[in-house]
Amino acid sequence: MRISALLALFLTFPALHAGLFSADDSSETKVRCVYSGTDGSCVEPILKSQNELVITVTGQGVAPSVTSSPAQAYALAKRAAMADGYRQIAERVKGVQVEGQDTIKNMMLQQSSTKTSVDALVRGANITNTSFKEGLCEVEMEIALSYSRILH
Amino acid sequence: MRSRNGNRPFILTHLALIATLSFGADNYYIGYRFTAKNTQAINEKLSISKAMQPCSQAISSPILILKRSSGESLQSLLEREESAFVEFAAAQELRVKNNESFSLQHSEIQNSLILPTRCYAVEFNNESVTIAATK
Repeated sequence: MRISALLALFLTFPALHAGLFSADDSSETKVRCVYSGTDGSCVEPILKSQNELVITVTGQGVAPSVTSSPAQAYALAKRAAMADGYRQIAERVKGVQVEGQDTIKNMMLQQSSTKTSVDALVRGANITNTSFKEGLCEVEMEIALSYSRILH
Repeated sequence: MRSRNGNRPFILTHLALIATLSFGADNYYIGYRFTAKNTQAINEKLSISKAMQPCSQAISSPILILKRSSGESLQSLLEREESAFVEFAAAQELRVKNNESFSLQHSEIQNSLILPTRCYAVEFNNESVTIAATK
């Protein structure tokens, strides 16, 4: 009697153990917190390990009013459009720092100013299309984000 | 019909280019900075300096090949083909700095693109120059 009870306990314990841990594993794979805000909420990652996230932006640049040739105007407008495109990519991927300041005197707004800044290192962005019309250059750019690119 | 080894000549040429760049090329440090204010270019600077000591021999895979007239220096070549070089180098690594300020009377947007100064392997041929970034 004692031997059979021991045997039953011996057989059921691994099954219980496996069941408990497998339940934990499945819940762990379903929810992965990447950021817990001030309220302690869990945010799921936008970039999943098996997917590639492509961000597309359009940068705009204007040719300077004084240039030595139309070719130089085009080149400089394109470069300015690239700078705008890279700025948009950096804003989307890394974020923007915003500072605001309002001055109020005698219950009246005297001065209001907003400053934003972006500082980022961008790797692997590509120009997909360029158009130049009436002094305005538009550059379409895209960057593909994936875990494999981040790790390399 | 394409042969089973149709890509072999391309791969061999590419490998040969990387091998010559690794062992037979000169090393140059190149940096670039571009600033635009209110979406108009205001400043651009390309800095080139020959490396006083050899850089790493490992070459990263993208290679830029530019046409060169005889005796043309790298400085004048890159000033002529600046767009091609900037697009080639920017695809690898580029620093972006942006400052915008808005007030009731005044608004200003300033964007800067900076190619961090890094070492490039440069091979001079009679009619072309091959450029690749070192790792």
